Amino acid sequence: MPQFFLNKRLIILLVSIIILVALIGFSLKDRENLTWPEQFLKDTTGFVQNAVSRPVNYVAGFFENIQDLQNTYKENKELKTRLDELARLESEVQRLKKDNTELREVLDKQDSLSEFEPKQATVIGRNPDRWHELLIINKGENAGIEPNMAVITSKGLIGKVKSSNTFTSTVQLLSSMDPTNRISAEIQAKDGSFFGLIEGYDKEKGLLLLKRIPYDAKVEKGQNVITSGLGGVFPKSLPIGKVVDVVPDEFGLTQTAYVEPGADFYDIGHVMVVKRGVLQPELMEMIDEKEEEL
Amino acid sequence: MRRFLLPLILLGLFIAESIFVQLTPPGLFGSGKIAVPRFLIVSLLFLTIYGSKKHGVIYGLLFGLLFDIVYVEIIGIYLFLFPLIAYITTKLMKILQTNVAMASIIVIVGVALLEAGAYQLNFLIHRTDMDFASFLSVRLAPTLILNLIFIILAAFPFKRLFEKYALSLND
Repeated sequence: MPQFFLNKRLIILLVSIIILVALIGFSLKDRENLTWPEQFLKDTTGFVQNAVSRPVNYVAGFFENIQDLQNTYKENKELKTRLDELARLESEVQRLKKDNTELREVLDKQDSLSEFEPKQATVIGRNPDRWHELLIINKGENAGIEPNMAVITSKGLIGKVKSSNTFTSTVQLLSSMDPTNRISAEIQAKDGSFFGLIEGYDKEKGLLLLKRIPYDAKVEKGQNVITSGLGGVFPKSLPIGKVVDVVPDEFGLTQTAYVEPGADFYDIGHVMVVKRGVLQPELMEMIDEKEEEL
Repeated sequence: MRRFLLPLILLGLFIAESIFVQLTPPGLFGSGKIAVPRFLIVSLLFLTIYGSKKHGVIYGLLFGLLFDIVYVEIIGIYLFLFPLIAYITTKLMKILQTNVAMASIIVIVGVALLEAGAYQLNFLIHRTDMDFASFLSVRLAPTLILNLIFIILAAFPFKRLFEKYALSLND
């Protein structure tokens, strides 16, 4: 009899390992969105999280405000000195904007890669185990949020929408390790700009890796990095960060730049989900064209 | 009302983990260190020790699934680890006696097992490239300290709660 029980236990263990592998394989598969039971569960818990996080954030915000009050005097002084500069900048921006629209009208070119419409959202949850850097936000498909949209804070790009449900969606941060997380970026230099791909994140240094920059590009420290809009999903000129260091890659054919992200990947309360103004061509259409050429 | 108390407490801890990570400053245990709150598994293990073994494993299965779907989006990691650790705890409790100190030590061992298991699984599916030595110093040590503090605070309330729960099951 004990022999039998031992076997039963062994069988349960083996079956559960098979189920484990199958489930992990299923969820690692390159799927566009979650299945409906998952969406339903996420929305339901999202509802509870939303109800809990609002008062909690309110209380936390109150304490933060008290801390802010202590620095008010110093900050006020600094801000006043910047205010004069701001007025000048503002008038210049106005003029440039007007110029831009006029020139566009002359060219008869309506849509630009850098156009986008932002949607405000609040963070209601975060993955506690922090192996997968995911955030849960309180806007979903009914607010027009779709997978692969860019997510920014006021300081810069933080990630993309991984999956969207009806009332909530999940944001994958740039700091999470995922080989499919690739963003086409542009380094703004004095004489033109250089293109590369943001691939990966150095956790120890807290820097993003901007790879595949041409070997003859003269990238310097302190240059700004923005999205290029060439990846097809993100709009152009969302700020990412600043170049800190440049090294040649292992074969010497391209360069890799270390980029210090402008946004803080940890302290995130409110985010903006960005929808690109220009329509993205359907993948199927592009494939069809290619086949015709052949 | 009694019947819904336990799931509600577990759900509360489930959400508290996420809120804890959102509100605490990043360098709580030194810069670059990551302390993961494991309140849910702590309560589940106390449930298996003082409440009912069967319920511990079943709630582990349910909340593991919920954790995977809501927070991780890879189904299987915690669905497998939560019940497994609860099961190992039931085996350990057969050998060891149940006083609060002993139970707390077993729970902290369970948290360490969970952390190591999650690391191994994430390493296997290439979601991390951290080596084992830096895993020990960057993640495991701060996590154990944080959860030890939580266990010290919560051990007695949990003991009373789950012993009452065990009694209500017998009625």
